[in-house]
Amino acid sequence: MTARQPEPHTLAGAYAMDALDGPDRARFERHLERCEECTREVAGLHEAAARLAQAAAAPPPGALKELLLAETARTRQLPPVTRGAPAARRAPGPARPAGRPLGRIRSRARAARLAVALAGVAALVATAVWAAGTVGRSPQAGPPPGHDIATVLTAPDLTVLTGLVRTGGTATVMMSPRARMLVFAAAGLRALHGSRYYELWLMGPGADRPAGLLPMPSHGMSGPVVATGVRPGDRLGLSVEPAAGSRRPTSPMILVLAL
Amino acid sequence: MPGADLAALLTQVARGDHAAFAEVYDRVAAPVFGTVRSVVRDPSLSEDVTQEVFVEVWRAASRFDAGKGSPMAWVATIAHRRAVDRVRSEQRSAERDRRAAAPPIAYDEVAEAVEDNLDRERVRRCLGALTELQREAVTLAYYGGYTYREVAGLLGVPAGTVNTRMRDGLIRLRDCLGAGS
Repeated sequence: MTARQPEPHTLAGAYAMDALDGPDRARFERHLERCEECTREVAGLHEAAARLAQAAAAPPPGALKELLLAETARTRQLPPVTRGAPAARRAPGPARPAGRPLGRIRSRARAARLAVALAGVAALVATAVWAAGTVGRSPQAGPPPGHDIATVLTAPDLTVLTGLVRTGGTATVMMSPRARMLVFAAAGLRALHGSRYYELWLMGPGADRPAGLLPMPSHGMSGPVVATGVRPGDRLGLSVEPAAGSRRPTSPMILVLAL
Repeated sequence: MPGADLAALLTQVARGDHAAFAEVYDRVAAPVFGTVRSVVRDPSLSEDVTQEVFVEVWRAASRFDAGKGSPMAWVATIAHRRAVDRVRSEQRSAERDRRAAAPPIAYDEVAEAVEDNLDRERVRRCLGALTELQREAVTLAYYGGYTYREVAGLLGVPAGTVNTRMRDGLIRLRDCLGAGS
């Protein structure tokens, strides 16, 4: 932490050009929510930045368009934000950093399950806050997990997914596609015997990548585990593996979530 | 007014119109790819990020709000943010060294990269009207994808000064370009 934080207002230019890193960006975005004038200023600066973008125009390779059209053909779109829906606004959302709407909640179940998801998220956040030093880690190197968790929780594109684990328990995934990171936690997973652990997988078009072993559950909660390097189109899987972890899944997936 | 058309197209895209999406792509792919490439540098990674940007445009088209800004600014914001975030996450690995070795694209280099680009001419002229520090701060941040702290390090000036210059520079640029009009 720096000793002196800059005046939020002076950061409008840096913000409009994405020159703020994670914590600074999150702080400025919190400020933006309370400052209409800043919001207007940032909008104007985004227009200026867009001109810089146009000035840099360069045609992409022709093949990109077809790839992309194939990709969007199988990509579900976000529904519009429905403003003035008081129920949604007042929904108990402990994990809505900076009052930002949740991205998408993609789950088999409907609204009733939202409460379960948010409860899971709340527990996840609570666990994350005071267990940040001891959480499970995905194999990739990086900054301390507490930092990664904070990055995901404060990401403007925070997305929450929930799913039922086939052998029992509920999984919650908080993801920032932009940061290509996710935080995974589960509640009520069946206890495993012997030297077996739950292992996370990122499953994309290529090979499945191990994304971390879940630590032993504490008070019924497993995780949080941070996984980095999430790619568009990845699916998240969970399987039971030997304690040392596996390079490839050796048992059937008991949870698969499309990210 | 092409901007208005683009906004209308985005409304169509939000309703799942693939043809409208293809049209949006044709209109903004060059600024998106150019911006992403100037930040990311690596050509194949740039294609990858460009694809992510357009998937995001497709996915989030319903979130575009014409009352808050132009469609081009909406798309460019997504593109630049994605490019920068990708570069910063790659920087955790060895990528940082490789990028540090390659100097960021200077604005005149960007300016010369594309012909028949009126925007480029005006942007070039307006950038030229900034103070040197403002211009460097703006181009390093936007085209180089550096954070203000990194820009401060590169220019050897205090971070607070860089912040002020970025804001002042962008405001002057906006006024010079008549952006948003």
